Amino acid sequence: MSGKRILMAKTGLDGHWRGPTIVARALRDAGFEVIMIGMARPEEVVQASIDEDVDLVGLNIGGHVDVAVRAVNALNDERPDLPVFCGGVVPPHAKRRLEALGVEVYPPGSQLPDIVGAARRLTGLD
Amino acid sequence: MNDRAMNDKNSAGKTWTSASGIPLKPFYREDDVPAQHRERLAAGPGEPPFHRGAYPTGYRTKPWRIFQLSGFGKPEDENARIKFLLEQGETGFIMEHDRNTGDHCYNVDHPEVVARREDVGLTGAVMQSVRDIDICMKDLPIETSYAHAGGAVVQHAPFALAGYWTVAKRRGVALDRLPGTGQSDYFLTYLGCVTKQQVPTDVGLRFNADIMEFCDRHLPRWVPVSIAGYNAADTGLNAYQELGALFANAVEYLDEIQRRGTMPIERAARGCGGVSFRMSMDLFEEASKLRAARLMWQQLLAERYAITDAKVANLRIHCVTAGSRMTYQQPLNNIVRGTVMALAGVLGGVQSLGVSGYDEALSIPSEHAHQMSVRIQQILQEETNVTAVTDPLGGSWYVEALTAELVEKAWGFFEEIQAQGGFLASLDSGWLHEKAAENQHREFMAQETGEQVIVGVTAHTDDASPYEVDGFMGVDDAFDVALERLEEGRRTRHEAGAADALRQLERVCRSSDNIMPAMMDALEAEVTLGEIGDVWRDVFGDWATPIQT
Repeated sequence: MSGKRILMAKTGLDGHWRGPTIVARALRDAGFEVIMIGMARPEEVVQASIDEDVDLVGLNIGGHVDVAVRAVNALNDERPDLPVFCGGVVPPHAKRRLEALGVEVYPPGSQLPDIVGAARRLTGLD
Repeated sequence: MNDRAMNDKNSAGKTWTSASGIPLKPFYREDDVPAQHRERLAAGPGEPPFHRGAYPTGYRTKPWRIFQLSGFGKPEDENARIKFLLEQGETGFIMEHDRNTGDHCYNVDHPEVVARREDVGLTGAVMQSVRDIDICMKDLPIETSYAHAGGAVVQHAPFALAGYWTVAKRRGVALDRLPGTGQSDYFLTYLGCVTKQQVPTDVGLRFNADIMEFCDRHLPRWVPVSIAGYNAADTGLNAYQELGALFANAVEYLDEIQRRGTMPIERAARGCGGVSFRMSMDLFEEASKLRAARLMWQQLLAERYAITDAKVANLRIHCVTAGSRMTYQQPLNNIVRGTVMALAGVLGGVQSLGVSGYDEALSIPSEHAHQMSVRIQQILQEETNVTAVTDPLGGSWYVEALTAELVEKAWGFFEEIQAQGGFLASLDSGWLHEKAAENQHREFMAQETGEQVIVGVTAHTDDASPYEVDGFMGVDDAFDVALERLEEGRRTRHEAGAADALRQLERVCRSSDNIMPAMMDALEAEVTLGEIGDVWRDVFGDWATPIQT
């Protein structure tokens, strides 16, 4: 185990679990402890990130980028040093907005080694 | 045969299999077709066991229906898009309701929805009452055009159907003449897109059986429920698992109707004999899957329910091309993928087809992506001559061997589900989710090792200009308008009538009576989606979700 903890949440209510489940498995296989809370509102994501004392937050985005931006801003307000990365259906215009907030974005087609590599880098393992 | 078995591997040591893992020979001979299956080859299309097609004259007399999923924004936005698709040549229409509100039976003022207000309208039009549904259906040819009224998710179906039927009644269209289909799909609801809250699976079974009975009495031209193997496959089940699970699901519906004894089993079988499958990229396996499906339905009905009537035993199939195979990178490549997957369905003998938008991985379809999905089908119908001959793959030793193998493996998976305690039990325990997740993982690993190539993604990438489109943005006023209309509806409806209808619905839910007459009264009285959802939650509670979503 790496000793690093990652919180994973979905910002939308759409229920597509395929992507986050695959990513969670890859992260666990790479030695991370992954806490999945499923569909969560921005304040629930923030609270869970505090309660679980995580080192990184992964957001799955299935809907509008504004909802994800609210979650990222809420996290940045409460825990400014906590890194965030995200994946899901993130069209280029949404990707640009999230990247401007310092969030790394892994859209569909991203390969698992790249995502695991990002998690290692963002948690300071590499 | 041994010499060919050795050739299954090429010099690089690659093993050749179908997408579901069936080992493939470099070429096929007559003796590769099992003797039992060879006997079936004399039957023509439209004859039992129907693997060669549902109808003898195929597309010559009945071209497949061009049937595209559509919906976003306000009901009037969705109405405009449906009209656009009909103008482009779509030959039926699908009314998708907003997933945030619809799937959960929440009104837009529910805290879970308010927290995600910008998501509202991105996945379908917001329809909270019969007034909204009326706007969405404005000037649509409901008497002549085959419609999917929405309600893909089980707890939402009674609302979506009762809403569509109530609007039809108000327009003076007799329900017994109304064509269309419901969905209430277990794979979407309990496997593929597990919602935050949902009625338990046994309650879903009651809802679906109630819908079947209601249609049997009042809507003989309506397909009451439609099992969507598509959702099973796009969650991860392979071709034969998709088949086996779909028929395990059908058996739950038919056994329930048999237990009730309220309608003839033949009519119930006809009612759930309109199904959908996913078409993915393994062209021959997917085409063979549809041939296998028809054969299995005929076998199942004959052996388990003693049904041999050809009108009942020929399965009608809708296909949708795999959304998950549409790539984010180089999305125009998806037009080619859509064409290949659509062709698989056509060669397999579909009655109805939807092609995913080329921008599927980026957003809901833009108008242009929707137009291309229609054009792909029109080009196949009008330029390629594939409509001339039914079951053009019939008699191919490869396709016949693959069809037979899929049937055998699918019945094996069906039996595995029975051993779990049946289809509902396999969902309640998370067993089916496990199967899907295993395959998903395997698929990703295959991409990582290079065994599976995705053009533009894992190979032939283009870092200089990876994206040619930016994704459809939808509209930005769906939430605000829905909130205004919700408040206006509550203010202007006959409140005592709505309250009565809601109380009556709750009483019926607590009894064993059919819920649909009370649903019709509730919609007529302008009871809202969220109020109905509250009844579900009070009376039926929540499904104990076996996975973390």
